[in-house]
Amino acid sequence: MRAAVKNLRSLFANLPPLRGLLPIVLLLVFWQLVQPGPSPYFPGPVQWWHATLRLSDRGHLAAAFLSTASSLLVGLALAIVIGAVLGVLIGASRRLSRALDPLLEFLRAIPPPAIVPVAGLLIGYNEGMKLVVVVLAALWPILLNCAAAVRRIDPLVLEVARSFRLSRWETMWRITAPSVVPSLLTGIRIAIPLTIILVLLVEMLTSLPGIGALMIRAQRNFQSSEVYALLVMIGLFGFVVNDAFLVIEAAILRSWPPRMAAT
Amino acid sequence: MLMAREATIARFNFPGLLTIVVCAVIWELLVRGGVIQYAYFPAPSAIGVGLSELIASAAFWADVAHTLLAVLVGWLIAGVIGIALGVLMGMSPSVRNYLLASVEALRPMPGIAFVPVALLLFGFSLNTELVVIVLPALWPVVINTMGGIAGVHQRLFEVGATFRLPRARIVSKILIPAALPSILVGLRLSLTLSLVLAIVAEMVGNPTGLGYAVVRDQQALRPAQMFADVIFIGILGIVLNQLLVQMTSLLFPAATRALRTA
Repeated sequence: MRAAVKNLRSLFANLPPLRGLLPIVLLLVFWQLVQPGPSPYFPGPVQWWHATLRLSDRGHLAAAFLSTASSLLVGLALAIVIGAVLGVLIGASRRLSRALDPLLEFLRAIPPPAIVPVAGLLIGYNEGMKLVVVVLAALWPILLNCAAAVRRIDPLVLEVARSFRLSRWETMWRITAPSVVPSLLTGIRIAIPLTIILVLLVEMLTSLPGIGALMIRAQRNFQSSEVYALLVMIGLFGFVVNDAFLVIEAAILRSWPPRMAAT
Repeated sequence: MLMAREATIARFNFPGLLTIVVCAVIWELLVRGGVIQYAYFPAPSAIGVGLSELIASAAFWADVAHTLLAVLVGWLIAGVIGIALGVLMGMSPSVRNYLLASVEALRPMPGIAFVPVALLLFGFSLNTELVVIVLPALWPVVINTMGGIAGVHQRLFEVGATFRLPRARIVSKILIPAALPSILVGLRLSLTLSLVLAIVAEMVGNPTGLGYAVVRDQQALRPAQMFADVIFIGILGIVLNQLLVQMTSLLFPAATRALRTA
């Protein structure tokens, strides 16, 4: 508990000074003064707030956020498991990684949004397809980072494991897994913004329930203040998700590598 | 000369190529043999035919040209604004203090969220795509430029002062060259991001270009063409990235070493 408080405090200490938010505040105040009423293009920020209240009164908002957030979390969790396992396996064998390298590099080079129509045609538009797309987008950074981390393990350390006659499983658990974790975390950090984009894209393209669908519907009905309100909320959502992960990452890395009892 | 060629051949990843070929052959056999009985799952040969048809059609190259235009213009705008902002924030601590929190608040904004706003303001147009590309592609350049400039050794700054160089000359002759490796890293990240966002903007925003081509071929139930579009987009990404790396190694050989390791 105390460690958690300490982590939070050190994170706040690393935050940029809050007076740096002044430009955004000034922009919003200026915006409100120039355009206080509703407008098809630039409704004032107070109108955004009213639109937020209207949306949440209709009960759309909570359900949409829940749906988007759950696709994101489930997809990310699946990608972490699949990516870490495949990454470690591929990285552990020099031959395997050399053989698969060009294929993986090419698959990674395809911008993930381009897979969405392909998945739509093959799977159809449903929640499962949303998950598949998120997993595929998040998989490459996680997998490639894990494989690279395994390849970077000092051969000497593996020699030590061999001279202690550790079994393959023990070597995996005591040496490989702890060495991979920092890179795994980096991979997840890179994957998160991509997964947010992909979830929203699927929702916008297919009107599967979620914030993306809500936003594109508001735009099609020319509800400009709702569009801006949702933009702000998506921005906050992205900020919270990214920063929550930074806190988790810092907390894990602070006590990494873990001390294991000698058994 | 001969030795250099032998080294290239030795370094060439034959197992890697073989893996791709074997995967394609297995895929082909599975589809031909009727193991995968799925109406919309084309065999690699059908995708190859689709790709050759695409390359022969003028409409496809118009799509490619449109996407490239959007990517390059968006990337250039993001690069120019990003470098300017990054230099200011890197040089002056007070500018940094009054801006950094805003940058950090806007940076995690998913680019796709700008699509509906841009559509509201600009309708179906290149401007819509540019809004969606520039706003997110800005941040890698800003952050990396700022970091590079702030990391320039104080002594270099003092050298400039000793020579009584005006501030603009210090920036152009000392700071930017010293920060070039990290600026290039930012520009490279931003180029990859620009392509992703152009595809997104064309899929849900402005219906033209390669992003829309994928959606159109999907809706028209032309799976072979759709797969070919996706593969072409992947190749385009690799080519753009390689062009940037080759160009920077020609123009700034010293700074490129940092780019390769990034």
